Amino acid sequence: MDTLIIEIDGTLNSASTLFLTSAGLTLIFGAMRVINLAHGSFYMYGAFLMTSLVGFTTGSRFWWAVPLAALAVGLMGALTEVAVIRRIYGKEHLTQLLATYALFLIFADVALRIWGTDARVVPFPQAFFGSISIAGTQIPKYHLLVVGTAVAVGLGLVVLLKWTSLGWKIRAAVDDPESLEAGGVNVQRLFTVVFALGAFVAGLGGAVVSPQIGVSPGIDASIIVFAFIVTVVGGLGSIMGAAVAALLIGASETLGAKVAEDWATVFPYVVMIAILAVRPWGLFGTPER
Amino acid sequence: MPFHHRRKTAVLAIGVSVAAAFVLAGAGAASEQRSERQFAGSINIGNSTTLSGSIAALGQGGLQGITLAVEDLNAKGGVLRKKVNIVSADDNATAATGASNVRSMILEKKISALFGPVSSAVATAELELTKQYKVPTFLHISNDITLMTKRYTPYAFQLVPNTVMEPRSIAQYIKAKVKDRKLNVATFAPDYVFGRNTVANFLKALTDLGVNHSIVNQQWPALGAPNIAPQLSALVASDPELTFNVQFGGDLVNFNNQAAGFGFFKDTRIIGMYGLDVLKALGNQAPSNGIAFNRGPFWGYKNAEMKVFVQRYKKRFGSYPNEWAIIGYSAVQAWADAATRAKSLNGDKISAALAGATVKTIRGPIKIRACDHQAEVPEFVGTIAAKDDKTVGHKLWNPEIFVSSPAKTMITCAESLALRNS
Repeated sequence: MDTLIIEIDGTLNSASTLFLTSAGLTLIFGAMRVINLAHGSFYMYGAFLMTSLVGFTTGSRFWWAVPLAALAVGLMGALTEVAVIRRIYGKEHLTQLLATYALFLIFADVALRIWGTDARVVPFPQAFFGSISIAGTQIPKYHLLVVGTAVAVGLGLVVLLKWTSLGWKIRAAVDDPESLEAGGVNVQRLFTVVFALGAFVAGLGGAVVSPQIGVSPGIDASIIVFAFIVTVVGGLGSIMGAAVAALLIGASETLGAKVAEDWATVFPYVVMIAILAVRPWGLFGTPER
Repeated sequence: MPFHHRRKTAVLAIGVSVAAAFVLAGAGAASEQRSERQFAGSINIGNSTTLSGSIAALGQGGLQGITLAVEDLNAKGGVLRKKVNIVSADDNATAATGASNVRSMILEKKISALFGPVSSAVATAELELTKQYKVPTFLHISNDITLMTKRYTPYAFQLVPNTVMEPRSIAQYIKAKVKDRKLNVATFAPDYVFGRNTVANFLKALTDLGVNHSIVNQQWPALGAPNIAPQLSALVASDPELTFNVQFGGDLVNFNNQAAGFGFFKDTRIIGMYGLDVLKALGNQAPSNGIAFNRGPFWGYKNAEMKVFVQRYKKRFGSYPNEWAIIGYSAVQAWADAATRAKSLNGDKISAALAGATVKTIRGPIKIRACDHQAEVPEFVGTIAAKDDKTVGHKLWNPEIFVSSPAKTMITCAESLALRNS
């Protein structure tokens, strides 16, 4: 087996998962300056919804379940923003942390009541079942879908932010929200849309990744730390930054697993510290306003 | 029928119904009073365990087993004629929360015994408290050997194979299968005390048994990490013949899903904790002929008590019991047996009654070794079946199951005492 191909595949798959989870977070964090500890919950709900929608089938149901799960999580995000998040804008970070941590616990408990404690599996869709040979090395077909989804989401967000009026408003909210509001934009509604969009992307990430993981309680907590690392290292509000940071973190994990297995889990944090020491605002971020 | 007659009949019917309702209610209350009267008081027992997060299924299974055991005890008059109540709490797999739960249970709820937790790290914190307050503690999931050696207290009892017994059993199975053939071995274990100790003891056991092997890769993903692509890539690239995976629950399901995509199970023989919950979750994706190990699979027992228990558990909870439910149930049996023989709930008396005793449980008779309170219990090792089991509707194991002998897997009392004093 060609180890380089396997390692590249592992890095891309890892980076794609991280990007899908953190892209929404960077939008929310960048535009709204809200530390949302419940962001991992959106990822988890996307995955759990897939277990309910797809069941044990391997057919076409998967293809409509993914956008449906993501939309449902987006709606969940919108409701969360209206009910809770908009009340903590501009509040101290500690208040935001406590409020969103409470949300995280509530969401986790609700998920336990709905889906129980057992790990659940989402079958791979038939078209992406099994492996594909690349230069004589077997790579899971499904990895192509995960990476492809991450690329599509990244491009979609770039197009949204650069070439749509919504995107212009979001970028303005990142750079200068006061001027935006003074310009007559309904910032409150904009924030609801941004939060819902961030939740949608996280839910999409959970839905797409779900066949690869054991969907079980606790995956919300497992993903949120790395989502924040990628967001901060990439720079708040920067989709490109999130993509590059996800690749760096994914590559550091792969390198760690290859050269120093006992220390593999430390490598991403070393990368994070090294980058932030040089650029505290992240790779593509701007100094704090 | 004339109207006034119909009215009279209706009033009479209503009156009889009301009277019957009162009689029945009174009978029910009297029955409850009678059943309450058969108890000369009540006892609280505590179960601080993990009921949320990635290892919730273990804690939940254990709690269900304990719940059924308590219901069965109360149906037979309780313990020392006292009704047993369960006080349960979620420890979130953190030592601080577990310790806080236990302190509250001891001081406020006055528990007479403690069961749980899932995590050995949490158990370490809790044992300090139960030692201080002399509360009998029954470990039925967490199994790190240090709990009964370095952290030994006279009030703690270990009901599962520990982190030496379990890997030794697996190594014995491997030795019997490969004999003198050389093996390339890889390990994949969660990066905390249970994973580290189990792998170390497995590799030591292979060496001690003379299994000709070389270690080609070792990976240590974090417990509960959903993204294991980097570690898995490194493992796959090393092309091992045998992979010893110490993950459990959702983590093992996660590994299985991701590894299957590489065709990993075609080239490597996997060893993993493929118990009821994992096999149910994986369904057809469970690797046929993979080597499975487990501390108490219900299909591994042939005794009548287990058959009855399985049916009753299914009726009570609507599902088959996992190993944690089985061992939790047997832990309560051990406590009740000791309390009955000691005629007391006192920690010192229960400890004296149980140390060296053999208790009758649904797992068969279990001896609790006197020197370190480790139960002399086997580990079960088998292979995953290729077809679904008709009883449960998904894959289980093939019929040929290796049941290890505790005499060949336990460390000696001298070794145990040496570790305690080190």
